[in-house]
Order: sequence, then structure tokens, then C-alpha cells
Amino acid sequence: MARPTYGIVQAMQSLRLYSPSSYRLAAPALRRQARGYATETGNTTGDVQSSSDLPPTDLPSTEPPATELSSTQPPSAAPPLAEAPPSEIPPAVKAAPEINFDRFNAQPARIVPASPSYFSGSPRFIDNVLKLESLQAKYASLPTVGAGEAPRMAWFKLAQFRDYVGEPVPMKKYKSLLKILQRLNRIQPEMVPGEVRSELNNFLRPGNPYAAQNVPRTVDENGRARAKGKRKESTAVVQLVEGEGEIMVNGKSLVEMFQRVHDRESALWALRSTQRMDKYNAWITVKGGGVTGQAEAITLAIARALLLHEPGLKPVLRKAGVITVDARRVERKKPGHVKARKMPTWVKR
Amino acid sequence: MASAWCWSCLSRLRPTPRAILPPPAVTPRITSAPFHSTAVQYANPTKKKSSLVATKYRQGQVLKRKKKAKTERARPPAVGERKALRKRIVLSNPNALEVEGMKDLSPETMVDSRLRGSVVGLPVPMLERLRAVQAFKPKQGWSIFRRPGTVLRRDTIEMGRLFEKISGDGDAPEKGKVIKKIITGMKGSGKTVHLLQAMTMGFLKNWVVITVPDARDLVSGDTAYSPVEGSKPTQYVQPNAVSALLTRTVEANRQVLSTLKVSQKHPGLSGLKPTSTLEDLAKLGFQDAAIAWTVFQALWTELNATAAAPGMENNFEARPPMLVAVDGLAHWMTETAYRDADFKPVHAHDLIFVQHFLSLLKSGQSLKNGGMLLYATSTSNNPSNYSLEVGLNQLAARQAGIAPTSEEYPQPEAYSNPNARVLDLFKPATGKESALELQTLGGLARDETRGFLEYFAHSGLLRESVNEEWVGEKWTLSGGGIIGELEKLGRHVRTAAQPVAQPVAAAN
Repeated sequence: MARPTYGIVQAMQSLRLYSPSSYRLAAPALRRQARGYATETGNTTGDVQSSSDLPPTDLPSTEPPATELSSTQPPSAAPPLAEAPPSEIPPAVKAAPEINFDRFNAQPARIVPASPSYFSGSPRFIDNVLKLESLQAKYASLPTVGAGEAPRMAWFKLAQFRDYVGEPVPMKKYKSLLKILQRLNRIQPEMVPGEVRSELNNFLRPGNPYAAQNVPRTVDENGRARAKGKRKESTAVVQLVEGEGEIMVNGKSLVEMFQRVHDRESALWALRSTQRMDKYNAWITVKGGGVTGQAEAITLAIARALLLHEPGLKPVLRKAGVITVDARRVERKKPGHVKARKMPTWVKR
Repeated sequence: MASAWCWSCLSRLRPTPRAILPPPAVTPRITSAPFHSTAVQYANPTKKKSSLVATKYRQGQVLKRKKKAKTERARPPAVGERKALRKRIVLSNPNALEVEGMKDLSPETMVDSRLRGSVVGLPVPMLERLRAVQAFKPKQGWSIFRRPGTVLRRDTIEMGRLFEKISGDGDAPEKGKVIKKIITGMKGSGKTVHLLQAMTMGFLKNWVVITVPDARDLVSGDTAYSPVEGSKPTQYVQPNAVSALLTRTVEANRQVLSTLKVSQKHPGLSGLKPTSTLEDLAKLGFQDAAIAWTVFQALWTELNATAAAPGMENNFEARPPMLVAVDGLAHWMTETAYRDADFKPVHAHDLIFVQHFLSLLKSGQSLKNGGMLLYATSTSNNPSNYSLEVGLNQLAARQAGIAPTSEEYPQPEAYSNPNARVLDLFKPATGKESALELQTLGGLARDETRGFLEYFAHSGLLRESVNEEWVGEKWTLSGGGIIGELEKLGRHVRTAAQPVAQPVAAAN
């Protein structure tokens, strides 16, 4: 991440304002220090309004013309080399007032952007990088923890970050920014400075997904166990309570929902294989897909709900094959094929 | 995930026939020269001649195919034979075991709550009469048992008690009352068999049983119809259907009708003598379909008479209560397949036969000598009918205690345009007496389920031990004891799983 800064320095140098007066009077050694952004250089030019009209081309010249002599010289500037008798200061002369750095005395020659990286194409991104880099450099000495022990943070995804900065940031550059973030996140949690923490929080996805702890499901206070199951295109939600084997699917009876006995049996296979058919009541909602898919989605959901009631049944249910998720879906059709894999019949001519 | 193989038929477990002989080698070894190591190469087999034969040089190819020899086909079945086969009702199966200790339905057993959940047989002498009123339907599965029998479920025993009360053994306050019920329920919940049980009880109690076994027959446009002269709006009479109804009634109720004498004057029927019985009266109808409707009206007046007309008091006997059973009510709430003179469909309520039976539901004491009206809906052959649906919902709401003025009382949706005449049928009765009731048949209770499945086991159909757990499982699988589903589960013959022979690892 250090690379882009070099370019920025170049850019900053090229952005220098050509304010004529003070440099001419200053010693060449001091001129370099006075370099800066336009907003800053404006301050340095403070009191030299009278000497303004000279072109910047004589900046390097060390000998100023004689007409430029004046009594109001900046205190930082060295006295001119020639014809300045130091002994002839009148007694009534007062010290110049303190320079007010908050406001300009002079309008700058042209509007200069606040951000040094304004002309870089992605200034907000670069500002962020610079800020993070400076933080990293500042707190480099703090102790860190291993990557695995650092608190888990949900950083912006690339698309979200692009929205955040409003610039088309390439993937690679964002990755390098992430590296800085991760490095800062690895600072030992008790010792993280406030500014680092607040800065890191700017890069989190809204509603930090990892903040919520994954609470293991249990049977609720009314004795209901709720579980979901999927198969093919169907999704089933089962509420299982202790009861005597009454089943309701989408507000209908099991028989109305599944005409085939096979489907009914496969839907209740988890209860049947554990001989719990007359011990539980189930209230089921199922949607999507066809009859078989719905029946088998119910199977999975009932098995999961049953595990909440009786976790000890897991090996039995595993053996019955009802807690294994069948993740198969319909394979897509491909171009050039009649179906997913079928090829058109071969014809000689 | 459930098991991939069919759990009930266990088709995967059936052992595949094992290959006994080793597969024939592709290149047989030469036995005559045992020291040769090279394989024999046979000449290529000769090619079969294709059907396309090039006959001669520079001649087109001719397609020559053998003509298929015509096989003599068996004659198609005679006209009506297929239908007869389809409608055939087989009531016994000599292969089934006889269930020992099975009781018959009788005036004593039909109210005995100790027998609840057991299967009682229909009395054998009653079967012919039940056939006559077409109480049995094909595909009800009577043919898998030795003799027909039905479960005594809670609803059956309650109905038996009603029969007892209305018949008035002793001086019960309900004597001569009319019970009007519409029977609904899920598919396979036993509505038609409930009617069958009611008919049997009616016969046992010497009631007059009048049935319409399939309401659809009257509206499907299969029987002749003609407008009634002078009726406005035009009503239609179906003479052949009425004639058939009279035939059914006489066949089934001969014992009762032959003892009752004519007690009213019927000026429209000239062939009637003062001494003739009601059987004779009804017979006039099926000898001549043209006067069938007049005869039916006369018979109806006779059966509902509470006293004889003046001058005919000699041989008047009190008329028995009546049972009217109709199956497939929804067909009577729509437009029929009949057309009027303007070729507009005729509504079922304009058929005078249908209207007669529907009007019994409305007015107060529609059966003067008491009795029961049982009108069952059907789910297997059922036109969708929004008006009827609303009407039944209103009926159910009233029964649940919701006042017709309340907001929760179900109303037809706006712009749904329900049939006013149909809704009118289900309006709350004004009189206190004999309001229309809705009886919804649900599933069997667990103990009834057990009794029913044990009956299958006793008949030799079921070869599993019927225990509590197994019954509970079947009860759940049948959607809470829906009896039609239980029958499917019970009759499902399953083969015992045969262990698949594991290939023995070859010993070294």
C-alpha cells in the first residue's frame, strides 16, 4: 500500500501555488520548507500584499530588485544581503501583529481542492488508504494477536465499498486496503486505540452479520420445536409438539395433501422409523415444487424438529437416512443438448 | 430423505434370480488341440438380407415388405356387457375367512355402545332389499370379505338411537319427529356407507325407505323429461325416473306396503279399488310410466296420511315413519343437462321430482308420520357449486351458535352471484321444530380403527399383529382414521421381505 503514496507526493508537488512574494525574499534553503498546498501557502504570504505583480519565473533568482525593499518583511525571512543598515531602526517601530492562519488575506490565484489526491482519479479511496496507512504506522508498535484470534469483522464487500466511496475501485486495490484493515484489526483487543476502532467501524457492513451469535435452536416454552427442510424446489416448515399423531399440512389433512400412500409414508418416515408416530403432533407448512419434493422436504423438517425434542435419536435418524440433506437440484439444460445431457440424434446427412 | 424403495411393496428386496451358469465365453477354447494357445477366429456371420433389395442394375430400389398376417380377434363384448361388469356388485368372497363371533346388525346391536368399534354384519335376508334400493356402490370393497359388514362407529350408534326414538318404542317424546340432516365429510369418510347403515336400520325398524341412490341420474339428461302443463314457471316431470323410483320402493318395502291399504281418494287413478294395498297402488306407476308421477303423489299422500279420508276408515292402519336418503346432493343445486323450449339450461330445482325431495328439507313437519331425511354430499363425483358451499357454511355457522345477524356469519362474496334458490334452501327455519342439521363425518377413533383393522386380520387379509403401535401408525397415515384410507391400508397385501442372499466370499 505504500506505493501509491509516492505518486501522491508527486501530485502534491505539482500542485504548489505560485505565490510570488515571500519566496523571493526568503533564502533558498527556506523555500523548500514553505512548499505546500495552496491553502497553506496562502498563510505564508500573509503580509506581502504590496509585492505581487512579479512573474514566478524569477523565483530561483537570489538577488531581488531594489524596488522591492520594504519595511514590512516577514519575521521568518532572512534580511537581504545588500544595503540594509541594521543599526538604523526607528524607536517607534512596533512588532508586526501575529499572523492569523485561519483566514486568507489574499485570494489564491486559483481554486485548489482540499484533498491532495483530488486529481488522482480516486481521491476518496486514496484518502482512506493514506489515513489507514498513517494509523498503521502510528500504532505499529502495539502488540498483536494471531489472525485467528482477532475479532471477526464483516468488512464491506467490493460492491458495497464502491458504493461507500463512490468510485470505481479495482478489486486488487481494495484487497490491499483490506490487508491494512486486517492488520489494524489484529491489534490486541484490549489495547486498540479509540481512533483505530472508530476508523475500522467505518468499513463494516451495516448490521454486522457476525455480531449476532448463532443460538442453537431449542423447544420453545409452549413445547413446539420448529424446523425447516428442503428438497428439490420445496420448502417445509414443521412445528412439532407432543401429541397423539395428528398431522396437518397446509391446513389440510395428510390424506388430502398426499393421495399416494407412499408419499404419506415418506413424509412421516422420521417418526415411523423411530416409532414416535403416535407421540407427536405436527403442524406443517410446505410450499413449492411437486408432490414428491414436498413430501421429502417434510421428512427432513420433521427429522430436524424431532432432534430438538430428542437429540439422542440422531444415530437412529442418521441410519434411517432422514437427516442427510439431498442437495440435488434439476440440472440445467445446455445449448446444443436436447436436455441437460441428451444429445440430438445423429443423422448422417 | 426417505427410503428409495417402495416401503410397502419392498420391491427392491425381491431377490434377483442368480445366474447359475457362468456366462458363455466369447471365444470358446478348442478342446481337440489343447496345446494351442491362440484363439480361434471364426468367419464373419453372413449378413441378413435387408428389406431393401436392389433388384437389378440401374433399377430403382423397391421396398418389399411382408404383409402382416391378420389375426382373428375375439368378438367385442356385447352391448351393455362392459357396463354391467363395471356396475357389478359382488357382496361376498368365498376365499375370505369367515369371521367368528361377528354379530348382525339388529335392533338390539345398533344401539349397543359396548359394540362400538366392532364390525357387524348386515343381515343376510336384508341384502336383497338393500340391493333393490341400490345401497351398495361398486368399488366399495365388499368383494374382499366373506359377507358384507360395517363398523359400528359413534355416528352409527347415535343414528341407531335416533331410529329407536322416532320409532317410539315406549312413549318417547321424540316419537314421530322428523330429523333432517345433510351429511358431509372428506373423501372416503364413509358418507355413503352411513346411508347404507341408515337404510338397514330403516328396514329393521319396518320403516318405509325411499332412496335416490345417485342424484346425478336425474340431472344428467339421461332420462326422458316433459314439461308439466300449466305450471308457471315451467316445471318438468321425468316419468321414467319416477317409475324407477317406484320400482325400487316396492321391491325394497314390499313387506310394509303390502299390509297397508289405500285410505284416501285418488280421482286421477281409475284402476284403484278401495281394497287395494299401497303395493298395488305403486305398481300402477311402473306399469305405465305416463301416470308414474300421479301415482307417486298418491303414494306419498298415503304414506303421510295421519287419518283416513271420510268413508274409508275401515282398514286404516297407522303409517310407519319414512327414511328418505339421497346421495350426491350437489348435483341438485346446479343447472342440468336438460334444455327448455328456448334452449336455455333447466335448473335442477325446476325438475318436479328434485323439487319434491328438496322441499322436504324446508317446511316444518315435512314427514307427517315422522322419519328421517338424510341427504349426503359426494366428493368423488361432485360439481363445484359456490352457492351450496356458502349454504353449508351458513348451516355450520348456525350450528356453532353464530347468529345469522352477526358479522361472523358467512355471507356470499360480493359479485359472486350465488343462486338465490339454493341459498334459500339453507335459510334458518322459522319454526322451532326439526331444523336442518349438518353432520360432518370425520375419521374413526383409535379404538374403532383397531376394531376395523382386526376385522381385516380375522378375514385373513392382514397378516400382521394388530397392536397399539401399528394401529396408531395406520391411524395417522390414514389422515386421522378416514375409513376409506384405512381400507386401502388394510387390504394392501404385502409380501414378507425375503432376505437377500449375500455372496459368500471365496475361500482361499
